[in-house]
Amino acid sequence: MSSPDASSPLIEMRNIYKAFGGLHAVENVSLAVYPGEVVALLGHNGAGKSTLMKMLAGAYPIDSGEVRVGGKAAAIENPADSQRLGIETIYQTLALADNLDSVANLFLGRELTTRWGTLDEYAMEKAARDVIHRLNPNFTNIRVPVRSLSGGQRQVVAISRALYFNASALIMDEPCAALGPEETRMVHDLVRKLKAGGVGIFLISHDMPDVFGLSDRLSVMKNGRTVGTYRTADVTEDEVLGMIIAGKKVTRVGECFAPPGGAA
Amino acid sequence: MLNRLQISALDLRLSIMAGVLVAMALVFHAFTGNFLTPENLYNIAQQTAVVGIVAAGVALIIVARQIDLSVGSVLGVVGVLIAFLMYSKGWHWAPACIAGLAVSLVIALYQGSLVAYLGVPSFVVTLGGLMSFRGAAFLIADGKTQPVSDPTFLMFGGGLDGSLGPAASWALGLTFGVLMAWNTVSRRRRAHAHGSVLRPLWFDAGLALFFILVLLAFVATMNAYVLADKGVGQGIPIPVLIWGVVVMCLAFIANRTRFGRYVYAIGGNPDAALLVGIPVKWVTLKLFLLLAAMVAVASVVQVSRLNAGTNSLGTSMELYVIAAAVIGGVALSGGSGTVLGSVLGALIVQFLESGLLLLDVSIGYRMVIIGQVLIVAVVFDVLYRRASGERTT
Repeated sequence: MSSPDASSPLIEMRNIYKAFGGLHAVENVSLAVYPGEVVALLGHNGAGKSTLMKMLAGAYPIDSGEVRVGGKAAAIENPADSQRLGIETIYQTLALADNLDSVANLFLGRELTTRWGTLDEYAMEKAARDVIHRLNPNFTNIRVPVRSLSGGQRQVVAISRALYFNASALIMDEPCAALGPEETRMVHDLVRKLKAGGVGIFLISHDMPDVFGLSDRLSVMKNGRTVGTYRTADVTEDEVLGMIIAGKKVTRVGECFAPPGGAA
Repeated sequence: MLNRLQISALDLRLSIMAGVLVAMALVFHAFTGNFLTPENLYNIAQQTAVVGIVAAGVALIIVARQIDLSVGSVLGVVGVLIAFLMYSKGWHWAPACIAGLAVSLVIALYQGSLVAYLGVPSFVVTLGGLMSFRGAAFLIADGKTQPVSDPTFLMFGGGLDGSLGPAASWALGLTFGVLMAWNTVSRRRRAHAHGSVLRPLWFDAGLALFFILVLLAFVATMNAYVLADKGVGQGIPIPVLIWGVVVMCLAFIANRTRFGRYVYAIGGNPDAALLVGIPVKWVTLKLFLLLAAMVAVASVVQVSRLNAGTNSLGTSMELYVIAAAVIGGVALSGGSGTVLGSVLGALIVQFLESGLLLLDVSIGYRMVIIGQVLIVAVVFDVLYRRASGERTT
């Protein structure tokens, strides 16, 4: 991906719809993220935020609506399409195969191969060691099945995918939900580092300190629709909770569809 | 210690099974006096090949959380078809075998598509296949036995002339011995070049030497089996050679290719496999096609061994194949198991059968015992996985 202009959106979702049977999971939602920006996505369980992000990640097909990546219309039909567009996703479930080791999980679906087309285990192990070392220097047992790792180490493996494949946009679904304070700090540092490097990040979180500590803008969803999208600095925690629980839009300040200093 | 030598729970379990195999051989030999003879070992190797070839493929199917109950019946259809084409239609054996392979692949395409693309449980699809294709095996030749007599074709089944002979067996054994040694050296070199931690040299060298010695001991045993009217040793039976090639190919696919990696990933966590972009359906279908190819190969060997295609060919073989895979350490819950384990599993089942036979244990007791051994193996499996932290319940 060429380095995108900070004043145009990295990813733009317009009028997205998704229904499961008769249930409208996502209705007419529009949301964008700009380079170097963290956009928090909030809402109750079942509000549609994970569904929206899974469509962007290619895990669910989009019923209708448009996704533009780097200004160009993008067809995302499967996870591989999304990855090819530079979008990496860290799922709440982490999407790890417990029976495989960290190296295999890091490269799962995108293995490095030798010129004979066979798996290049040594190249993968070396690359994995490097990228995992950057995240946590104490994490060295990368050749044991991930089922025997701690929650924080498993999170590191999931994050290392995004780091290794040089994501231009990152979706993080509750990245700190299962982590202790130290590991949470590690994730926060990483988000800031990636942000400084121009990565656009969608952050799904229930945790107010996460949201207010990390995000530039936030968008609240309820029953599949967007309640409102604001600059994080413009709203208070109570107002955000009001949007999540009651679906009550904040009128004290205007909505914000582009980051401060951006196109708006 | 285990850490420093980089011995995984899996390696340890394979070693334990190999130990069980050796112990069984010694016990049977102690009681019968003629278990560990070249003749008996030659026959066991030959008899295990058919189950072993299919078990290697079924091991991977189970790793991917699927099952195939139809392998015995498909083997029957393919076998009868090949024999029918040769005996009743006068075909040359080569096109007859290719036709058999084609039919096996078409069946896999049908069953595999239902499983992979429509999401029908493979248990149900292949249970239906188990009955239907047994019927089809009857229909092809109207239930009539189809004898085969082509001398080239009959070599695939082993027997009197179906072995390599001493010189070729030694040549093959030594070649592979050298290849194994070279493989160890080049692996160490590559690991070193990439900064990986190496196992101690004595351990790698000892391990390579051990496997080479086992291989050469096997060759020596096969060569030591001399038929009275032939005067020279038999050497490696062709069905065992075919089994070896199948195992090497499947082990290579399982460990060195993306496809193999995906099979294990799907077995470990199908949802994650989808989310990271693995084409789960296509991999599943390919896996059924791969097994079908193994079934076709096994079918050729079986028809050749029996000198005929009969509609009972491969009856209840699925039970032995699944037993071999499970005894060999393949978890029915998926994600865990090896091709090499299926070899040990198949041998353990056959050792038991042969040993009990030599002890003059009647068929009824043999079945009772083998069934309970399967349960013992699974109990061991559950306890072992719990102890090694693979399972928490």
